[in-house]
Amino acid sequence: MTPELFPALITGAALFGIGIYGALSQTNLVMLLMGVELILAGAMVNLVAFWHHLHPDTPAGQMFVLIVMTVMAVEMAVGFGVAIARFRAIGSVEMEEAAELKG
Amino acid sequence: MAMISAQTFFISFFGLAAVWFGVVVFRTHSMMRSALALLFSQTAIGAMFIGMQAEFLGVLQIMMMATEMSIMAIFMVMFMMDPGGLGKMDMTHQKRLSVITGLVAFVAIVAVAVFTDWGPLAGSVPDSAQQTEDLGLELMGRSMLIFETAGLTLLTAMIAATAVAVEPIKRNRD
Amino acid sequence: MNLIAVTILAPLAAALLILLLRRIPGALALSGATTGLLASLALLADTGAGVSHEIQLPGLPNLPLSLIATPLTTLLSGLVAIIGGLVVVYAIGYMKRDDEKVRFFASMLLFVAAMQTLVLAGDWILLLAAWELIGLASYLLIGFWFRRPGVKSAATRAFLYTRSADLGLYVAVFILIADAGSSDITTTLNTGGGAATAAGLLLLVAAMGKSAQTPLHDWLQRAMAGPTPVSALLHSATLVAAGAILLIRTAPMLPDKVLLVIGIVGGITTLVTGLIALGERDLKRTLAASTSSQYGLMLVAVGAGAPLAALLHLLAHAFIKSSLFLGAGVFQHSRDSTAFSELHGAGRDRPWIFFGFALAALALTGIPPLSGFFSKDAIIAAALISSYAPLFTTFVLASTLLTGAYMARSLRILWQGNIALHNIAGLAWMGAALAGLVILAAVLGAAFPAIEAMFSDPLPGNNVAVILGLVAAVVGLTLGWFVPAQRLLGPLRPWSQRSFAIAGGFNTWVVRPALATARSCERLERALYNEVLALGRLGLNVARSCERLERALYNRVLALGRLGLSLGQAVRLGDERGIDGLIFSLVRGVTYLGSRARRLQSGLIHRELAITVVVTALIFATLLIPILTF
Repeated sequence: MTPELFPALITGAALFGIGIYGALSQTNLVMLLMGVELILAGAMVNLVAFWHHLHPDTPAGQMFVLIVMTVMAVEMAVGFGVAIARFRAIGSVEMEEAAELKG
Repeated sequence: MAMISAQTFFISFFGLAAVWFGVVVFRTHSMMRSALALLFSQTAIGAMFIGMQAEFLGVLQIMMMATEMSIMAIFMVMFMMDPGGLGKMDMTHQKRLSVITGLVAFVAIVAVAVFTDWGPLAGSVPDSAQQTEDLGLELMGRSMLIFETAGLTLLTAMIAATAVAVEPIKRNRD
Repeated sequence: MNLIAVTILAPLAAALLILLLRRIPGALALSGATTGLLASLALLADTGAGVSHEIQLPGLPNLPLSLIATPLTTLLSGLVAIIGGLVVVYAIGYMKRDDEKVRFFASMLLFVAAMQTLVLAGDWILLLAAWELIGLASYLLIGFWFRRPGVKSAATRAFLYTRSADLGLYVAVFILIADAGSSDITTTLNTGGGAATAAGLLLLVAAMGKSAQTPLHDWLQRAMAGPTPVSALLHSATLVAAGAILLIRTAPMLPDKVLLVIGIVGGITTLVTGLIALGERDLKRTLAASTSSQYGLMLVAVGAGAPLAALLHLLAHAFIKSSLFLGAGVFQHSRDSTAFSELHGAGRDRPWIFFGFALAALALTGIPPLSGFFSKDAIIAAALISSYAPLFTTFVLASTLLTGAYMARSLRILWQGNIALHNIAGLAWMGAALAGLVILAAVLGAAFPAIEAMFSDPLPGNNVAVILGLVAAVVGLTLGWFVPAQRLLGPLRPWSQRSFAIAGGFNTWVVRPALATARSCERLERALYNEVLALGRLGLNVARSCERLERALYNRVLALGRLGLSLGQAVRLGDERGIDGLIFSLVRGVTYLGSRARRLQSGLIHRELAITVVVTALIFATLLIPILTF
């Protein structure tokens, strides 16, 4: 039990939970992407907290955060590209109607 | 009440703000407001970074998120049925499952975070200039492979996104 | 070529040719007989000049076969050849209408060849072989018309009669060869004592059989069932002469007692058969009985110690009897029967034939200057001067009387009757042969002195004999012509018609015992046969039960096989249903599971996200449990 970490970690956990809720409950693709953003943000918070409190001398911690950020950006870009394509094809980006991969 | 350092306070404050804005993202009916809420949430997270003496990361976060959220807002308007949120339609599905899953995840992680002994705390954090220098050296040294990979991935993603987003060429059917 | 060889081989070769070629049998027979005749006459001439021939052939060890040409043998050979040739000429005419000429002429020539061998034989073995062959030829020829009733039995009877008598010859020859140590006839004539007596008696037995002496005279009567040429050649001149020839040849050897027995046998025969001839109802049978009678006379001559007389009478009788038979054959063709009842007046149909017949009959009776007179005269003379003159003279004179009687009777029957002229085929041939023989019968007397010169013994002659003979002959002729046979014979007639059979005769003494033996042998054989059959059946039963056993085993094995098959089928079923069922149920289970799992694949992204999150959480939980430091 290291109370110094609590605020950051709990924040991270909260963001993670909200993000999961959003990813699972939203019908819109963009909203779903927002949820994923939040999940990644929560992960970043945790990372920075750990770096700051446990290993400040290790720049690898920050490196990790940069990577995650990159992932966020990439994921958004691709996701929006898919959204455009989908919109063009169907006319909406609702998840309810996306049952083409039903096996 | 024990003496809470200013650092801890700010971290907690911005943390709460981030969480609150995050909730707003999904509670509001307006798309614009969601996007903005997300923006603010991310900004708060950036502030948290600064609070945790990771200036570079914090600034980076704020700048990136600002841009991203703006774009997201545009996309919101493009694709949403009701960007203004004037309708009262419930745009969610499998609500119960998601809520339970979110709660379970939160509780689990909190439990892990609280009940784990994370080891001895570090002493001091190097100053920002030193941090940036170390980060740069790290980047160019040990993590070069990682970033090269990341760069390649980014390139692939850009091409992919462009390809997907580009309108298909209409063939002449004469 | 040796003349002896030609004499024998010419007829034999002709016989074989006839059998091989089966055509022109008459011409071939005539050529064979003629060749043999020429050779035989040449032989006779040579011997008359004093040259003797001999052929020796290898036989048994130390017992070579030989053929010799001496005065006696060549005379007889000439006789056989002349009569044989003339009878062949006659037969060409006689058999013109017959279909089986080939068989006839072949058998006749075989007989001629065998007879020549017999008369020319120089040793006993060859004589025995020839003796058998003439018996065989006689059987074949008597039974020539075997399809007619009674012929087969006549031939068999003749064969059996002579065969039984031949035993005597075999034993006699054995005795002679054993005693003399050689089979040469001339050598064995030196035997003396008991062996000579025994051999002599046994030779007499054989002679009785072959020459149809009492009590073995019946077969000659029956033998008349054959064709007339056969009767003319075999049963008057040659075959029946074999017995007399045997005794004449061995006469030097025979002791007095044997001669007496011979004389008695001959005498009884001549009387008995003379009476039979008197009472006969058939022309040929009369002539047959007459033949027996005349041979009996010859035996009396031998018994009286004059074998030369016997030989002369044999020669004369041969020609005479052959002519008589040839004439009878013409009458037979004319009236299609030889029974006296049919032949009344047959002589008037063919006067010339009858003339020849009558001439021969008179010659037989002993009327001069015919040949029979000279030979009869010699015999009477011999009887008169023999040791047992009364007995033998009685025999001879009685015989002469009887001869006259039955010959006159035959002539009377033939002359007294109606003419019934039929057309006869081949009359020319028959007439020519008959003429030849009659002429020879008439004039042979002139040759007798020449013949007498060839031998060392003189011929007895006596004026008393001449007168007695003539008287007896004339009385006989008169009686026969004028008095019917019933009156002459009286109560003896029925018995004579049964040829004086004693106590059932041949049938009782020989036939029935032989048949009884044959039947018991047959029964024995049948019993053995049944035994063998029973054995065979036993074997079959064993085989059948073995077969049943084998079948049962086979069925068991099949059942086992079927059991194995059904076992295999059960296993297969089990495999199919059991294991396959198992596998199929497995398949069904997996398919079912798959269809259930498919429902997870909704394609909806939120669902899949949810699944991802939940499962990831579970994995994390599983991984993190050991790390937690509670």
